[in-house]
Amino acid sequence: MLKIENLLVKIGQITVEVSDLLVRRGEYMVLLGPSGVGKTLLLYSIVGIVRPVRGKILLDGKDITYEKPEKRNIALVPQNFALFPHMSIYDNIAYGLRVRGVPENVIREKVLEISRMLRIEHVLDRKPSQISAGEAQRAALARALIVRPSVLLLDEPLANLDPETKMRAIELLKLIHRSANLVTLHVTHDICEALLLADKIAYMYEGKVVFVGEPDEFLRTSFARPYVRLLASIDNIINLRERVESR
Amino acid sequence: MSRAADRFLKVEKFLIILSAISSFAIIAILIPFFALFLCCRYDVVCKILGTQLLRNEFLNALKNSLLAATVATAILVFVSIPLGYVLARVDFRGKTVVESLVDLPLVVPHPIVGVMLLVAFGSRGIIPLGIEDTFWGIVSAMMFVAFPLAVDAVKLGFLSVDPMLEYVARSLGASSFRTFLTISLPLCYRNILAGAILAFARALSEVGSLLVLAPYPETVTVLIIKWFDTFGLPYAVAVSSLYLLLALALFLALRALVKVGAYA
Repeated sequence: MLKIENLLVKIGQITVEVSDLLVRRGEYMVLLGPSGVGKTLLLYSIVGIVRPVRGKILLDGKDITYEKPEKRNIALVPQNFALFPHMSIYDNIAYGLRVRGVPENVIREKVLEISRMLRIEHVLDRKPSQISAGEAQRAALARALIVRPSVLLLDEPLANLDPETKMRAIELLKLIHRSANLVTLHVTHDICEALLLADKIAYMYEGKVVFVGEPDEFLRTSFARPYVRLLASIDNIINLRERVESR
Repeated sequence: MSRAADRFLKVEKFLIILSAISSFAIIAILIPFFALFLCCRYDVVCKILGTQLLRNEFLNALKNSLLAATVATAILVFVSIPLGYVLARVDFRGKTVVESLVDLPLVVPHPIVGVMLLVAFGSRGIIPLGIEDTFWGIVSAMMFVAFPLAVDAVKLGFLSVDPMLEYVARSLGASSFRTFLTISLPLCYRNILAGAILAFARALSEVGSLLVLAPYPETVTVLIIKWFDTFGLPYAVAVSSLYLLLALALFLALRALVKVGAYA
């Protein structure tokens, strides 16, 4: 369980204030909001890259607010996937286990197992510059998941994918989340991603979490108006296409 | 002729002018090199290498230059890695002052560097280490003048590494030191090597401060001035040609090493 209490994070002009946020184990929370409201900054303070001004971050009851990032067991998949460019995909995925001193034969077994699951075993020998965006996303997920983190933080992980790869990635994220029983926090500004993935949506506006609830509830709030308009226009386009095709 | 084609031609003309100016600059730089090798007399080179006294003096000077430049570069690499990393990654009060201090040796005239080092670390200096006329005097002068080149190259290298790579490594369980060793350092080793090559080349070419601080033991650059005064231009040209050939060969070999390393 990830709990945030009375948190204030500040970097330059961007301020994030979260009075109370709770993500239960097994829950997939999507942090939704327009660009520049501080969603990523909140993620960075959870992973330990940014020090909060005040407040508490609790993981399974333990205060980790000022804990070093390497002690938190919180894995981050950033928007650009940040695969280590000088290492092969195999070494990228193995990195977290090598750091923990796991024997090389066990590492090999685990890397092959997760690569098979994420269908990237054919790129293990390649460098990150030699694989597609979809494969890079799966490699970054594999690298994060292999260390069995308590929390998985995803910073716009689907932003650079084409629609087909994106749909496959959404199915994969659902599967991973269910099988690993994680606390997952997924940052996006895309309502479709949020509706397809979220158990709960936390909506951020002007640096504050102003709504937390189920997707259906969110769509009934005033914050959802621009998104509902967007969904309605997409729906109109689909209806129009269907009418044209049926003629 | 279409407007787009017309514009293309204008751009082409512009490029031709730029190329002409660039060629002129490159030729102007190459002329002294050609002149040096052209004016180098074979009989004088043979005399230097054939006469035991002159040969020993030259080889001793060469040994001093190469050894001192290598030691100075090694120390500079060791120092510039932590300093370059801190300057690239940490924001602190007075950072601009520190950055200006790092670049300060670039603007100090070299004889003044010699005087400064003499009054700082000479036998009668404020920290009396007695470095004048010693091997370590040469190393200190070389380090002082090459310091900004090494630090700036390493700093640029660390700046080019995406900090997100380090954050992800930390989130995967790596300590800050392990992250530095396995992510940051390997990703900027080319800049470190480039900085080392620049520092080495700068150290080899130092003379102004050495004339004040440590004219003995002789380095090749000091020897060139001495032979120019004692034996005249032909000897200075001959020893300069030999030294330059060696320095260029070393420089090219190190550059090739960096390139080969990049594809390893």
